[in-house]
Amino acid sequence: MDNFEPKIIGFYCNWSSQMGIDSAGVEGASYPPNLRLIRVMCSGSVDPEVIIEAFKKGADGVVILGCHLGNCHYRNGNYNALRRYRLLQKTLEQFGLEKERLRLEWVSVAEGKRFAGLVGEITEELRRLGPLRQFS
Amino acid sequence: MKTISIDPITRLEGHGKIEIFLNDQGNVENAYFQVPELRGFEVFCLGRPVEILPRIVPRICGV
Amino acid sequence: MGKLKFAIYWGAACGGCDVAVVDTHEKLLDIAAAADILFWPVALDFKYRDVEEMADKSIDVCLFSGAVRNSENEHIAKLLRQKSKVMVALGACAQLGGIPGLANEKRRQDILDFVYHGSPSTASQKGVYPQEITSVPEGKLKLPKFYDAVMTLDQVVEVDYYLPGCPPESARILEVVQAIVTGNLPPKGAVVGALDKALCDSCPRKREEKKVKVFYRPQEILFDPERCFLEQGLICLGPATRGGCSDPPRCIRSNMPCEGCYGPPPDVTDQGAKMLSAVSSIIDSQDPGQIEKIIDGIVDPLGTFYRFGLPASALRKKRFP
Repeated sequence: MDNFEPKIIGFYCNWSSQMGIDSAGVEGASYPPNLRLIRVMCSGSVDPEVIIEAFKKGADGVVILGCHLGNCHYRNGNYNALRRYRLLQKTLEQFGLEKERLRLEWVSVAEGKRFAGLVGEITEELRRLGPLRQFS
Repeated sequence: MKTISIDPITRLEGHGKIEIFLNDQGNVENAYFQVPELRGFEVFCLGRPVEILPRIVPRICGV
Repeated sequence: MGKLKFAIYWGAACGGCDVAVVDTHEKLLDIAAAADILFWPVALDFKYRDVEEMADKSIDVCLFSGAVRNSENEHIAKLLRQKSKVMVALGACAQLGGIPGLANEKRRQDILDFVYHGSPSTASQKGVYPQEITSVPEGKLKLPKFYDAVMTLDQVVEVDYYLPGCPPESARILEVVQAIVTGNLPPKGAVVGALDKALCDSCPRKREEKKVKVFYRPQEILFDPERCFLEQGLICLGPATRGGCSDPPRCIRSNMPCEGCYGPPPDVTDQGAKMLSAVSSIIDSQDPGQIEKIIDGIVDPLGTFYRFGLPASALRKKRFP
């Protein structure tokens, strides 16, 4: 377990969080390579089926990144994301998945460094939880 | 020792089998009834909200 | 053309699907006129040995109800697959895992411990559990292996058609049997005896606006029998369930929300995920605290969204540390 490297799938929105991630690069902030990023148009467009599919296919954690509440490019997409996320998290807990395995975070253009720190924090958290036991 | 297996028991709800052991005279020495079935309603009903139970427990037996 | 040869079997089931076959009433005689039933434990006295002695593919159609819970279910499923030209998963348990599939939320050992030891109604000597092999003075007795998880039929054998429902409506079974008899079969792998649309499409209830501030449990309110359940704050699995059980749907007609027994509509891989997505999209709040409170009103998401489909869902079984 000592050298366990968690696999994290990150869905990030095309707007604030995209720019936030970009500014992490511009600012030279580094973060662990455990995060695999997938761009979507809006955090509200990430279907729970897709998140569950990620866990099924071997993700140890999933993080959804969107614009801060009130700042959604599509006005209320991130509220949709928030509602789904809370219900999905509650359901996943009944499946035995710790709630830390699914995260929803708001990242703005000014939060490049915070984003990098966040990835480090999530990676450490998942390292502590260990790999998601797959069912065969 | 000769054995007669009744597997499965038919025309009733559920799974069952009977093993009958015959002795050298051809008489029944012993017979065993076995139920090779368990689903665990006793356990997966625990903790469920009460309104869900009337919709789960009819599936214990539908015959 | 000679008579068709049918086999009807149950794995981990309640027998409700068999009763649904019998509930075709006098039409059962039409089935009997068109087909010989070679194996049907609930109704006819044939043994496993009779099936073993049949030539491969000598059964035209096998209707298999029930989930795969133990090694006997799997063994007989494989045996019947070998002997049958067409394998039909009959009912929610065979298709999705069904109600017995809820056991996938529990550990195998916890189930055995409670049933054979812990339950207050069990009078068993401490530590006595069913054994796969028991030695008795006369010989050995065998029981099947109780698996870690419940499986669907298509997780152990190839399935040609799925006839959903808990139980499938008798009229739908009859239509499918008639289609089989007349050789009018859809492409392999199809769901038969149901529509290709969600249940909401055939729901007669009035729909206005889906905005919900409270989710109710059915005993908490008197609900309007004319209006959409979801709009009244009652979880109804209509949006994530295949329609076609009956018209109008029976549960809806009896003023009870759909519970999802017909499984996911086409193009939905995970019925529960689809439903929780639908439910969260009708929550009428933008306040994180209030959203939290509204979601707390859904007391058992897994038992509600995955009631019939836990083994068929993407995650299949609860993870234990």
